[in-house]
Amino acid sequence: MAEHQAPLPLVTIQVELFGLAQLVCGRRQVAIDVPGSATVADVATALAKTCPALVGTIIRHDLSGLHESYILNLNGLTFVAQGCLTLQPGDTLLLFSSQAGG
Amino acid sequence: MYGYNGKTLLVNLTSQAVWWEPLSAHVLRRFIGGTGLGTYLLYKYCPPGVEPFDPANPLIFVGSPLVGSRLTTSSKFAVLTKSPLTGFIGDSLSSSFMATELKKAGCDALVITGRSPFPCLLAINDGAVEFLDATPYLGLNTMATEHTIKERLGQRTRVACIGLAGERLVRYASITNDGGRQAARTGPGAVMGAKNLKAIAVRGTRTVPIFNADALHAIGTHLTQRSLGPATEKYRTLGTLANVAVFNRLGTLPTRNFQRSTFDETAQVSGEALHQTHFVTNAHCANCTIGCEQILTTTDSGPTAQGRMEYESAFALGPLLGVANANTVIRASTLCDALGLDTISAGVTIAWAMECFEKGLLTLEDTGGLALRFGNDEALLECLQLIGERRGIGDLLAEGSRRASQRLGRGSEAWAMHVKGLEMPGYEPRSLKTMALGLAVSTRGACHNRSSAYEADFSARVDRLQVDTERGRITMEGEDFSAVLDSLIWCKFLRKAFHDLYAESATIYEHITGWPIAPEELRQAGERINTLKKLFNIREGWTQKDDTLPPRVLTETLPTGVVQGVGLTRADLDMMIQGYYCARGWTAEGLIPEQKLRELEILDIVQADATEAPFP
Repeated sequence: MAEHQAPLPLVTIQVELFGLAQLVCGRRQVAIDVPGSATVADVATALAKTCPALVGTIIRHDLSGLHESYILNLNGLTFVAQGCLTLQPGDTLLLFSSQAGG
Repeated sequence: MYGYNGKTLLVNLTSQAVWWEPLSAHVLRRFIGGTGLGTYLLYKYCPPGVEPFDPANPLIFVGSPLVGSRLTTSSKFAVLTKSPLTGFIGDSLSSSFMATELKKAGCDALVITGRSPFPCLLAINDGAVEFLDATPYLGLNTMATEHTIKERLGQRTRVACIGLAGERLVRYASITNDGGRQAARTGPGAVMGAKNLKAIAVRGTRTVPIFNADALHAIGTHLTQRSLGPATEKYRTLGTLANVAVFNRLGTLPTRNFQRSTFDETAQVSGEALHQTHFVTNAHCANCTIGCEQILTTTDSGPTAQGRMEYESAFALGPLLGVANANTVIRASTLCDALGLDTISAGVTIAWAMECFEKGLLTLEDTGGLALRFGNDEALLECLQLIGERRGIGDLLAEGSRRASQRLGRGSEAWAMHVKGLEMPGYEPRSLKTMALGLAVSTRGACHNRSSAYEADFSARVDRLQVDTERGRITMEGEDFSAVLDSLIWCKFLRKAFHDLYAESATIYEHITGWPIAPEELRQAGERINTLKKLFNIREGWTQKDDTLPPRVLTETLPTGVVQGVGLTRADLDMMIQGYYCARGWTAEGLIPEQKLRELEILDIVQADATEAPFP
């Protein structure tokens, strides 16, 4: 018999936008609410609510994640792979192009 | 032969001798073109131990099998010589119509040696060579030189020239072509100046046949579509300037001569800010569909300056010098282009001087009254002009940071930010550990482009703040990948548009040349090219101690940002270097076993009598 799972508590984090993300949103930073144990899809979904202009250009249309050419970094230190993120209130995600260098 | 002309044009400026030598299929398949073929030719034609400014040092321009194919980003060429900054291999890439014109003129490579008895304009017209008097162009900036020569020889003529900096043998002088594109790193413009060669003008009408043009066209169309997709979006939007704000946030933006890795005033010189306030248009090289170039203009009441701006120029002439005025950064970059200066080496050398000035090692008397303090906009612009003219303090700084610090002494070598004599690019190695290794072992000195090792650091593949021996394999693979890119030659900004660079490039190579080649053969060509580069350096005196980083990087921790307290010890760097030598199959001293030379089919090249004078 399946157990009923209580919804995970949400945490408020900041997302700093760089490059095209900043240009299309017209903002450098936004706040979003996501589960403390979030997937990249959770982050993409929350971001899409706050910044719909990101959908299609940076966030996949089905909100399953980011386009390959974008990447997230947690607090300026840890690059985020496709797995789950453990987020604390006050954390900051950086969203920028994964095309490094030049 | 398809895809190649199959020959090298050789010119001796001293004797005005001109002759052709064949390039065999065996050589072309092993070294492809661009940097690879150029390395082969440099190894062959550069007399061992020659001084970079000696007439015998060859200056080599090399095209590639892709040139003329109309594939996106394929109009590029390489320039190789023994570098006057490093004394090791010097190689740079440039792009646009000069590449296609050289091929149409009938040569895969142009090798120039000797020294002209008069200021020379070397004019090549479908393989016919003239030695014209370039006296009227002396002292002209690069744009005026190109413009004036085109007025004389025709607008379809393609021109590669030096500015004042090249004429005055500034060791990091660039060669400029097609309206401001630069072969700049490692100072090939200074070697051109030493040859008394102000410019090369090329016209050609020949067509090099392609083996299977229909198949190539189909692939090219698909590649063009991908070049307009998400894989290049960053470059099409803000260009490489997008790095500024991100690097600052990650603590990897070298600031005030690498004393810090964050810049408090980044918002004034970020790509986003420049795009909103200084952007004029995007531009692109010939046959490029990406168009990464950001043309920016000044907006203040001073003299108008307008030109291309890249991340490396913005970092080196902005945060590295404590300069936050975007108009000044744009002016400084366009001034470097006009004088024919490598912006990275110019900025890093001036940063060294500013630190010397602030520490009292250089005085107003030394600088001719110039207050070379960090953040002094006017001093930066005046200093660049002095360097270009080799006047006053500019004469010392024209030598580059290594020689200038050795001449000044008094401990200033500790903050001369170079590797092997080549000034550091805008990647802080303490907070990018894979890049630290890439910079330390690169054959051309502190270079980010010949390994692209930063790619691993800017991903979830590694922890960029930690070290391990695995970075050796990552760096080696990046170097070999880059060598193939730089030899075919593809623009690096196209690299993510390939699903599998080796497999797709092998197919394209076969369609162009008719020579079947396996993807693994291409990968091995990358390894072969990097190995021959290293062999050249060994022949020119490389020892293990040359694979290192500036003392500051190995003794000081970063003081600000998310990387506060992060450093890099010599032991950690040495551990990564050993991992790199091991991955390459080299000895613990970084030397190359004979078996490796056999495996890579280059033992014959090494055993050839390099002292035999190849020129009449």
